[in-house]
Amino acid sequence: MEVKKDILWRVYLCFLGIVVFSIVILGRAVYIQQVQGAFWREQAKEQQQKFVEIDAQRGTIYSEDGRMLSTSTPYFDIYIDFAADGLRQKNGQRFENNLDSLSLGLAMLFPEKSKASWRRELKNGYQKKNRYYLLKKNLTFQQYKQLRSLPLVREGKNKSGFIAEVKDKRLNPFGLLANRTIGLSREYIDSGGIMRNMNVGLEKTYDEHLRGESGKRLMRKIAAGVFVPVDGSEIEPQNGKDIITTLDVNIQDIAENALLNVLTANECEYGTCIVMEVATGKIKAIANLSRREDGSYWENYNYAVQASEPGSTFKLVTMLSLLEDQLITLQQHINLEGGSWNVNGRTVYDTEDHGTDATIKEAFEHSSNVGMAKLTMTYYAKNPNRFIDHIKKLRLDQPTGIDLLGEGKPVIKTPKSRSWSATSLPWMSFGYELMVSPLQTLMLYNAIANDGKMMKPYLVNSVQENGVKIQENQPQIVEEAVCSPKTLKLLRQCLEGVCEQGTAAELFSGAPYRAAGKTGTALMANGSRGYRDHIYQSSFAGYFPAEHPQYSCIVVIRNKPFAPVYYGAKIAGPVFKEIADKLYALNADQSRGLKHMALKKDSSHYLYAGSTEDIKEVLEKLKIKYRDSAKADEWGHMYAVNYQPVVSHRKIANNIMPDIRGMGIKDALFLLENRKMKVVFRGRGKVVSQSIEPGTYVSNHQTVTLELN
Amino acid sequence: MNNQRNPTISKGVDTTLIWLYLLLVAIGLLSIFSVTYREGDDVLRSFLNFKTDYSKQLIFFAASLLLGLFILLTDSKFFTATANIWYAFGILLLLLVFPFHTNVKGTESIIKLGGFNLQPAELMKLFVCLALAKYLSRVETDFTKTSSHLMAAGILMLPALITVAQKETGLALVFLAFFLVMFREGLPAGYLIVGFSLAVLVVATLLLDKNVLAVILTAIAILTIYFGWRFTRQRRELVIIVAVVWACCVGVQRFAVPFIFTKVLQKHQVERVFSLIGRENPYAKLNTVEGDEPVTVKKDTDYNVRQSKIAIGSGGFAGRGFLKGTQTRFDFVPEQRTDFIFCTIGEGFGFIGCVAVLGIYIFLLLRIVNIAERQRSVFSRCYAYGVASVFFFHIAINICMTIGLAPVIGIPLPFISYGGTSLISFSTMLFILVRLDADRQMVLR
Repeated sequence: MEVKKDILWRVYLCFLGIVVFSIVILGRAVYIQQVQGAFWREQAKEQQQKFVEIDAQRGTIYSEDGRMLSTSTPYFDIYIDFAADGLRQKNGQRFENNLDSLSLGLAMLFPEKSKASWRRELKNGYQKKNRYYLLKKNLTFQQYKQLRSLPLVREGKNKSGFIAEVKDKRLNPFGLLANRTIGLSREYIDSGGIMRNMNVGLEKTYDEHLRGESGKRLMRKIAAGVFVPVDGSEIEPQNGKDIITTLDVNIQDIAENALLNVLTANECEYGTCIVMEVATGKIKAIANLSRREDGSYWENYNYAVQASEPGSTFKLVTMLSLLEDQLITLQQHINLEGGSWNVNGRTVYDTEDHGTDATIKEAFEHSSNVGMAKLTMTYYAKNPNRFIDHIKKLRLDQPTGIDLLGEGKPVIKTPKSRSWSATSLPWMSFGYELMVSPLQTLMLYNAIANDGKMMKPYLVNSVQENGVKIQENQPQIVEEAVCSPKTLKLLRQCLEGVCEQGTAAELFSGAPYRAAGKTGTALMANGSRGYRDHIYQSSFAGYFPAEHPQYSCIVVIRNKPFAPVYYGAKIAGPVFKEIADKLYALNADQSRGLKHMALKKDSSHYLYAGSTEDIKEVLEKLKIKYRDSAKADEWGHMYAVNYQPVVSHRKIANNIMPDIRGMGIKDALFLLENRKMKVVFRGRGKVVSQSIEPGTYVSNHQTVTLELN
Repeated sequence: MNNQRNPTISKGVDTTLIWLYLLLVAIGLLSIFSVTYREGDDVLRSFLNFKTDYSKQLIFFAASLLLGLFILLTDSKFFTATANIWYAFGILLLLLVFPFHTNVKGTESIIKLGGFNLQPAELMKLFVCLALAKYLSRVETDFTKTSSHLMAAGILMLPALITVAQKETGLALVFLAFFLVMFREGLPAGYLIVGFSLAVLVVATLLLDKNVLAVILTAIAILTIYFGWRFTRQRRELVIIVAVVWACCVGVQRFAVPFIFTKVLQKHQVERVFSLIGRENPYAKLNTVEGDEPVTVKKDTDYNVRQSKIAIGSGGFAGRGFLKGTQTRFDFVPEQRTDFIFCTIGEGFGFIGCVAVLGIYIFLLLRIVNIAERQRSVFSRCYAYGVASVFFFHIAINICMTIGLAPVIGIPLPFISYGGTSLISFSTMLFILVRLDADRQMVLR
């Protein structure tokens, strides 16, 4: 009995164990399903839906003459929702009826698959009721338009189940042209594994405008880990704005080619070239080329805005100070010491021996280092700050402030600087022991050409949204007069002299125009190897035509080590001359300035405004499909979203300046004159800007100026 | 000798057990189907084309039935006679894994034989079951002796240790289930008490701060001496025993547990244990065991269980219906078809479904215990208890795992989880039991 009892309690314990365990499990199940049930169900719902970002279309960068320099081209991914109600209606009648013709159309449009295999693919997808079947990726807009015209597809999304998703790719239609300045917008994956955009150049500087705002789309998860968009839950992305640059494709092309030819012929390390419009400070062309391993050249670094020792082009500053302080006259004689002069223990050399006696003008024209060093030592040795102050007044100690991120900082020593030495002053006089960027030097030469008025260089004319200017950059004067008119006249004589009897005389002999400028040849330090590699930087800065300067231009080229030819006049000069020649020929028939072509618009961005009814009537007449978000308002406007016109209303209230951009002049006059306002307008076409901002309070008889394109 | 002359296989076969078996496999097939099936699939064709998971499982089921038929045709004496040979064979296979294993999903316990993945540890459950039954049923075995206890423990600890070395801690734990058999065969209750106390101590170590626990242990020791003082004459012995026990407990709490959690278990396993009880892993930095599974953040270890709870939780009382569970059908729950198959039932059929499946399992377990108790031969009884223990352990741990009551150790739910090896090995165990039970009037040694 003892044994039986022993066994019995053991067996019962086993039974008990099983029962206890099941009670625990059931208790837990009740807890999860009943007590916490709502919470878990909520969690489940959350997991099945998510928001995805819809990228906004990036704005386009245009040249001043309206050509696209950098633009986003849409690409389309095509998906099919085979479970679309319209498609399956009446037992799939619509699908069956169109299957053959659609397969044929697809085979013609995308010949990589035959009609039979397209048919099989569609049939297969239809049978599987796939809700998000990827038909084809990366269609161009052209292909997409053709696809839209195929049978079934043309019946629209609801009936055909065809879904198109748009992606953007960045393109530079002009390839290398001003590539570095226009910049890049490319995607990369950062260390945290997040996709980011890396921009340089204008793409970076104006990223905020170009980027736009991304929209959102609600997606729902269906089987096999696939998400499909939920209809009607979308926030439209706001497309990026367009940038109209000051660049001119023709001038850019000329400059880039001229530079490339010289660089290639001499196997130079790199070169930069900037062309500026004298009157405004607009950068018309900016080229940066550097040599790659295989000997070809590529835009990969913006040398134009990086500071380096300028060399002889800086002698203009020395002359300007001396003349402005009325310390010298150009005809004054100076002993050039036969090309070498010892000062404070260091010897200044001229590249060529110019004898002993010369006028100061001649010394400048032949770019005598000795001459400049002697003059500064004579007049400024006791008070170097007097010279430095001139440099500061010419704004050479600070960046130009051009609208391009990444501009280098110049370095100008003062007697207080730690590295200031007894030879700093004489060496500065011919462009050593200081660093300024080519753009800064050009800004100074441009000021001389512009009658002493120093202009701030800039690259962007305006920012536009749907063809309407939302921000406009005007030419900015940095310094009303960099020197007295008298000095200016003398300096221009000197610069013209360089091209007539000085270092660049040979270069410009026989040119149909007169040029003014200064050559420069600087021995460059090469990192730790110092000056041993005999690397010369050749430069030329100047303007043309000398009488009525239109463009100023600087060319800076860094030669290869031990290059046989390195003089500014021989390397940089020809680039300048080629640009001047071609631009002169281009404008030969025009007395002054370039006439700028009107901006051409592409079809993706437009804005028309006027009477809502009129707009709708026109659209309907033209059989253009549009999205109507206009209320029953009298006034409306139309713009593009993803290549589809959208008509929406425009608020017009009394006593408030209405937004009349995009309207024709008839509508604008009707609207404004009804408000008893005076209207002054220029040009023809649509209103592109108005002098009184929309939304401002206006009174009777106030005058408003309109600009039409 | 009757059935040798008239060898009908149906004679003496426990049909209840067979029906329960078929029912569970059917539930399993439907669950796997509901996870894998996509709208629009041709059901009949995909069931027969042997490409989908459910059709593969169907083949394994057919293979199990065929094997079951062979087993039912085999003489019961075959199993008693060959039990030890099978055990030796199993150990050999286990050892062969070391030189010939292939790395599949972080385990080192699999030998690839053509297209088939052989996991000897899985088969070893059956062999241990047979060998243990054989040992306990020997006439010479006197199970009141400690040496016999040690011998029996050795039979199951040997494969368990080898399996741990193959980084299959979950499978190794299954072998511990056989202590239940020994318990039924008269293992003194003392072992049970010590084992239970040890378990409580380990859990307490994980839950409480080590100093707090030490204070509690000391307090218990002092109280024991204080109250024991009056009831015993041998006060010296009392103090010594209490002191030794106290020292052992503190030793476990201070040294043994940290040792196991830093030097024996892999990091991800430790993380799972701590994520279950909701504490920061205090040994994270000390762990030196190289695991194959990367341990990134705690969130990851929680993820499976969390998804599983979402699935079961959204089932509610009556469930979302067959093929309507979004969580399980849309691949949110990892290892959906294998270890976490219970979620599918939980989401699709809710509380009612859980109760039903659990009910069938309990019925199965009780039926097996019932069968065990009606055996005349000790061998059959021990074997039946072995089967019950293994099933019980699998069911308990697997379901607890899906509802967040046990750490995720990756063992399948018998007959329902997808997987050829597990279905075939569980079926074989069950069919041998049915065969032995059919001969319950015989005394097998």
